[in-house]
Amino acid sequence: MKIVAELSVNDEIIRAKNVGFASCHICDLVITLGNREAANCPRCNSKIHYRKHDSLNRAWAFLISAFIMYIPANTEAIMVTGGLGQESADTIISGIIYFIATGDWPLALVIFSASVLLPLLKIISIGYLLIMVHRGNDLRKKEKTRLYVIAELIGKWSMVDVFVVALLTSLIQLGELSYITPGPAGLAFAIMVILTMFSAMAFDPKLLWDESEEK
Amino acid sequence: MEENNKILMVCHACDALQEVSHIPKGNIASCICCGVRLFKNTTSTIESPLALLIACSIFFVIANIYPVLQLNIAGIERETTLVETAYMFFLEGSPLLAIVVLLTSIVFPGFCVFSLLYVYLAIYFKKNGFFIRPLLVWSSRLLPWAMMDVYLLAILVAVVKLLSLATVILGIGFIAMIGFVVLYAACISSIEMHVLWTRLDENCGGAQCE
Repeated sequence: MKIVAELSVNDEIIRAKNVGFASCHICDLVITLGNREAANCPRCNSKIHYRKHDSLNRAWAFLISAFIMYIPANTEAIMVTGGLGQESADTIISGIIYFIATGDWPLALVIFSASVLLPLLKIISIGYLLIMVHRGNDLRKKEKTRLYVIAELIGKWSMVDVFVVALLTSLIQLGELSYITPGPAGLAFAIMVILTMFSAMAFDPKLLWDESEEK
Repeated sequence: MEENNKILMVCHACDALQEVSHIPKGNIASCICCGVRLFKNTTSTIESPLALLIACSIFFVIANIYPVLQLNIAGIERETTLVETAYMFFLEGSPLLAIVVLLTSIVFPGFCVFSLLYVYLAIYFKKNGFFIRPLLVWSSRLLPWAMMDVYLLAILVAVVKLLSLATVILGIGFIAMIGFVVLYAACISSIEMHVLWTRLDENCGGAQCE
């Protein structure tokens, strides 16, 4: 069951920043920040800011780098399967096509959503939110905030393919008979996932709400 | 934390300042402005997350010692533990990938579980241990980077991939990982960080007592 928090003063929503309050990201302690740029949390000693430091620039930088890494992650080979003098390179897409062809629909779906769809959706979502902040668009702020929360949650699941390659590489090592080695896409993939996570962490959803009130 | 005390909170998503009065146990307080979850009044006492953390750390150790998967291809047997999967990346010339796998699947989950266990033990025995606060700060920072649950999904995918090639035997490590992931999820959802911090303050009778 959900309970909506009670309002403190009158019936108007007060932004903490406007009254000089800020809360710690780690331990939720609310302190008065006043005119200071930043302060150390008296309880857990983390830095407290009104808004995440240089949020938009950092989020953009991570996001663009992530998008650049998304391309080799999907076009390059994720693993190389070899044996008896033959070698074949597999990309993520060719793996998915193979599973569809052999009738492994559920597996194809898992890999497709985790490796192709989720990262792309996440990159698009954060890009969209960033553009909305720049434009000062203040429609549907609740939905945008929810989009951010979801985008933050789904990010790490894209890592699944990297782990699959790790397992296969480690298990299929039968010398000349059969072996699997990681391809260049593995690293590109891991970096892409890490960058999208950094980008989501750098983005401050409070900016979605700020812009509309300054207008 | 007193039941009837109002807590001053700032929503992390929309910066709305609000007072949360006591809510019944098991309920979730949502932000007045954007509706994002502020916190959950967890039903658990101090003992139940502690018990979960102890079980979690045992499963973690087992999952790391025993092989997660065993394979039998034409009479040749192979098995792999969690660490070996990262180590093999290292041998195959991808040290960076090896580090990523090692950190996200072993180091970070282990760090989070053992630090939280340490913090809870300190609260339970009402003792002031060393580095409690920095450890709690770092475990909440590293929590999103602990990916044991993703790894579990990866094992399932790998099993389905391998079934056509070989006989696959799920190892003891795999069973322990399932235990770990389930208990870990239960544990994290029963821990509310700011409540933990308040307890820590009460534990040593003041905000500053390192």
